[in-house]
Amino acid sequence: MISQELKTVILKQLNLDDFDLQGETIAPQVPGWDSLNHINIILAVEQKFGIKFKSRELLQLKCVGDLQKLVDSKLGK
Amino acid sequence: MQYVWDLLKYNPSDPLIFSTSLFLFLFVFFLLFYNLFGRNKMVRLGLLIVFSLYFYYKSAGYYAGILVVSAIVNFFFAKFIASTENFTWKRIHLALAVILNIGILGYFKYTNFIVQIFAEMSSSRFEPLSIFLPIGISFYTFKSLNYVFDVYLDNMEPTNSFRDFCVYVFFFPNLLMGPIDRAADFLPQIQKELFLSKEDLGKATLLIIAGLFKKVVVADYIGLNFVDRIFDYPLRYTGVENLLAIYGYALQIYCDFSGYTDMAIGIALFLGFKLMDNFNAPFKATSIADFWRRWHISLSKWLLDYLFKPMQFSMRTLRIWANVIALFITFVICGFWHGGAWNFIIWGALHGFMMSVGLLIQKPKQSLYKLLRINDTKFLRFFQAIITFHLIAASFLIFRTNDFQIIKDMFSQIFYFFHAAVFLQFAEKLPIIFGLMTLGFALHFMPVKLENGIKKIFTSFPWFAQALILVVVIWIAAQFKSADITPFIYFQF
Repeated sequence: MISQELKTVILKQLNLDDFDLQGETIAPQVPGWDSLNHINIILAVEQKFGIKFKSRELLQLKCVGDLQKLVDSKLGK
Repeated sequence: MQYVWDLLKYNPSDPLIFSTSLFLFLFVFFLLFYNLFGRNKMVRLGLLIVFSLYFYYKSAGYYAGILVVSAIVNFFFAKFIASTENFTWKRIHLALAVILNIGILGYFKYTNFIVQIFAEMSSSRFEPLSIFLPIGISFYTFKSLNYVFDVYLDNMEPTNSFRDFCVYVFFFPNLLMGPIDRAADFLPQIQKELFLSKEDLGKATLLIIAGLFKKVVVADYIGLNFVDRIFDYPLRYTGVENLLAIYGYALQIYCDFSGYTDMAIGIALFLGFKLMDNFNAPFKATSIADFWRRWHISLSKWLLDYLFKPMQFSMRTLRIWANVIALFITFVICGFWHGGAWNFIIWGALHGFMMSVGLLIQKPKQSLYKLLRINDTKFLRFFQAIITFHLIAASFLIFRTNDFQIIKDMFSQIFYFFHAAVFLQFAEKLPIIFGLMTLGFALHFMPVKLENGIKKIFTSFPWFAQALILVVVIWIAAQFKSADITPFIYFQF
């Protein structure tokens, strides 16, 4: 389950009004989410939640659900 | 008997490539035994390992030992990495694996280039060292390395079977020229029973037909009979011929490489393995970045995952500049991967530069498209594809030759000695070259729906009809191989 906060940050970076982001959604399925834009999304997520990811953690991300889990673990949820 | 031995033993000038009759002959026998022992996995995989090692020995002689060393080194390093929870140890083992792999690759591939640079810097005479370059070393080094990286990143569990890992590393269809398949996709396939559906069989046969046609009929023929001649003496020909040679070389390199890949994927499919796609109509790309999502996909994905992303993430506070720097470095390395020569490095740097510029002007470009109301239209995509194709084709010139005078001469003929009327003469006097180039590009730009329709019809044919078509294509390929070189009469000015 993707939180509304995370969804808002991602969609704002991609200039999308709405998109059905699910846990298993992968970047190429979302319009505009390419490897170059990915960095902006990561930075926006870090800024929004006041957290810092390690490069290795980012390299392990496969889908939006993995990003949600990583954010939750950083926030101690 | 001596003749048979000479034919089967290692010969540096005669590697066992898919388009040779010797390979076809040996493969049919191998396939027969492979299917005969289809139910006995141990024997089947053993046969695959032995045939793959022979395949490599035939192309690299006793240097085939490097392949075995590569398998041993990477199998155990991945095991060490997975066996410890200590992150520092994981990193040390990863670093050692990378140093060893790149060290071996670097010694064979780049020593002479580096020695040459030092010789030039110290103004001394360059004496090339006698170093044998084992064919395919860049491909299988990267193939083995992705396994180590994925184990390090916890993207996959390491295999406990050295036999399975050898099947992955030695697998002859993708050993010499890729695709650089992922261990995470390949290793689970080893566990499956050998089963080929009618659709798989049809697809495999069609891929081999397409590959043979692309490689032998299109690439080799237009290369030998047209492109090579223009590149040898560009000033003897008009701008039209020089421009057509640039288009021809783009088509030649695509058909050569993707033809080999098609055959590799088809042969692998006959053995019950699905390899990753390596090409997706690259000349339909609407930008350089799009081109790299369609050209040599297995390499670009490898570079993206294991080189670009780590650099991009570590520099991410630089925002857009992190992308620009990481892109440029990645593509310089991409060029260097192709060979130790300045033209490859410049070619890579050029692609890195073009992509970086594309990234930096992305926003103003989008605003302009919106202002002109052409955003996301077929019209725009058509022009983007034409511009991208010409940039790609021009960049391939640096790939083709390290003599920059030739490139200069070709462009000077195109801009100052074009002679458009020569085009009709070209079509009239060289109908085979003209026909093959037209056919090659027409097949490449064929709509996906039509392509899928042809695939569907072909796979619905009974097996003997498919085999008959394959035999006909082999016969046509043989005719093209032995065809006399068409003399270039009207090109003399």
